[in-house]
Amino acid sequence: MEFLTDNIYYIGAFGLIFIGLFIILVKHNLIKVIIGLGILDTGINLFLIAIGYINNGTAPIFSKPGLEAGNMVDPVPQALVLTSIVIGVAILALALSLAIRLYKHYGSLDLRKIKEQRW
Amino acid sequence: MVNPILLIIVPLAFAFALPIVGLISKKIIKYIPVLVFLFNLIISLLLIPKVLDQTIIVKIGGFQPPFGINLFVGPVGILFSTLIALAGLLVSVYALSYIKEGPQEKYHILYLLLLTGATGVVLTGDIFNLFVFFEILCISSYALVAYFGNKAGIESSIKYLIQGSVGSSLLLLGIGLLYGQLGTLNMADIANQIHSISSPSIFVPMIFIITGLGIEAAIFPLNAWLPDAHSSAPSSISAILSGIAIEVGLYAVIRVIFTIFNASSFLMFFVFLGVLTLLIGEMSAFSQKNIKRMLAYSSIGQIGLIMFAVSLNTQLGVSAGLFQMISHTLGKGLLFLSVGFLIYKTGSMEISSFEGIGKKMPFTSLLFTIGAFSIVGLPPFAGFASKFMIIRAALSTGQLLFTILVGVILLGTVIEGAYFFKVIQSIYFKGNTDIIKSDEAPLIALIPMFIFALLIIFIGVYPDFLAKILNSAASEFINRIDYIRSVLG
Repeated sequence: MEFLTDNIYYIGAFGLIFIGLFIILVKHNLIKVIIGLGILDTGINLFLIAIGYINNGTAPIFSKPGLEAGNMVDPVPQALVLTSIVIGVAILALALSLAIRLYKHYGSLDLRKIKEQRW
Repeated sequence: MVNPILLIIVPLAFAFALPIVGLISKKIIKYIPVLVFLFNLIISLLLIPKVLDQTIIVKIGGFQPPFGINLFVGPVGILFSTLIALAGLLVSVYALSYIKEGPQEKYHILYLLLLTGATGVVLTGDIFNLFVFFEILCISSYALVAYFGNKAGIESSIKYLIQGSVGSSLLLLGIGLLYGQLGTLNMADIANQIHSISSPSIFVPMIFIITGLGIEAAIFPLNAWLPDAHSSAPSSISAILSGIAIEVGLYAVIRVIFTIFNASSFLMFFVFLGVLTLLIGEMSAFSQKNIKRMLAYSSIGQIGLIMFAVSLNTQLGVSAGLFQMISHTLGKGLLFLSVGFLIYKTGSMEISSFEGIGKKMPFTSLLFTIGAFSIVGLPPFAGFASKFMIIRAALSTGQLLFTILVGVILLGTVIEGAYFFKVIQSIYFKGNTDIIKSDEAPLIALIPMFIFALLIIFIGVYPDFLAKILNSAASEFINRIDYIRSVLG
């Protein structure tokens, strides 16, 4: 039980990552695949945040006397997540706009029907 | 001294300034990439002698490494940035006459961003920064593949996007795992501390990072997106994707294996993966009827060859691999550019429709032939010099296994020769052989192709021209201690 409470963020993050990968690999609807990409992204962002997180930690600013560096949350992963969220938004936006164009061409979003290009 | 950071800043700034320039005049937009890459080429050429003398470390914001982000401008970085600027310049001159339809403004913005990403990947010394530049490269290439907006383009773009973004997620996961253990993102600092953690905890992030980068580099089991994307993109973009984007991916894989993880025990695996990639690529190319798909599969084969050479882990092997990258960029660039106008004039991508076009478009066909001969590896073209160097490197290891693998590689080259000669035969010796009125590609598109061809012949006749920079680039990969020392002091 202690293992669970100590590692709850990591378990959640990898849970999201596996759910995302599962959706991408198994689903045939393009919109669902794009949702899978979003969940995968979220899982990785949660994982990055969890790396630097300390329970009951403070922001890394010496705003009050008596604050110690050991008790501060690592700010670097948060900066990484900010960048990674922006990249994720760009990818989702591009994917959705391509999905609209794909629907105009094929009249369907079923990836099983869209296979003109093949080996 | 010129600051190497201009190589990244100038294209990035102009990419965002383009819409404003477009407000003033729509006509000058297409000349801006030409100017930007001319500038980059001049800066890179000016920096080469200095970098060969001593590696330049640019500390962004003045933070001392390992804090902050630093650029590592070593021989490898400057070699690649020169190559990117050269290909970028020639292809943007070609695009002046080739890109006539579609949203041209967006094409030029994305083109600048794509090459900014590529330059950033090869120059950066920070692994998260590498990820960010990689994403710039990938996202702009997803959009450019779909540039024509036709059925094939959209479909291959969405395939490329899904596979590529799973790859970059894996890359980010690997970087996160590495950061969690070492608490640093600086590549030299990671390389310095990598031996302080146990090998299973290195192995997991390494596999994530290599798989993520391997998707972009099109290493064998991860290359399903490449033939679709390269064949549906506009030909000028295919030349960049094939000549620059996958090689930048491969650069990142090599950097991660050699410098960061020092994983020389895994190189045997990459030798076999390289040979497998080569064979799969060449055999699939042989059975293609669509010319651009054939060239795309041929790129996969070349990537396998480069991987094999680099994984030999000797000075000669790594420099042969880098040499093969240069000759592949020049050769495949020339092939895609000339094929662009062959397709434009015949209106079809089928090889059978090129019958007798050698009479109609003599210059373009001649340039296609030079590119094909160089990729196959006939003397006196650049491909011969680089393939010869790879075989010399493999034989000089003196192991029986590598001698056998050289035989397999030569078999791959024979297959390569077979399908390229098939195309050349149908261009020159089939179909209507009467003299018909010539219908040549425009001069402005022929000039960059001629420059590519001249460079191929020049390097093929005089390969020692590149010997010095290739040698110092190879020792940058092999001597990782020097890399760490020059950053951390």
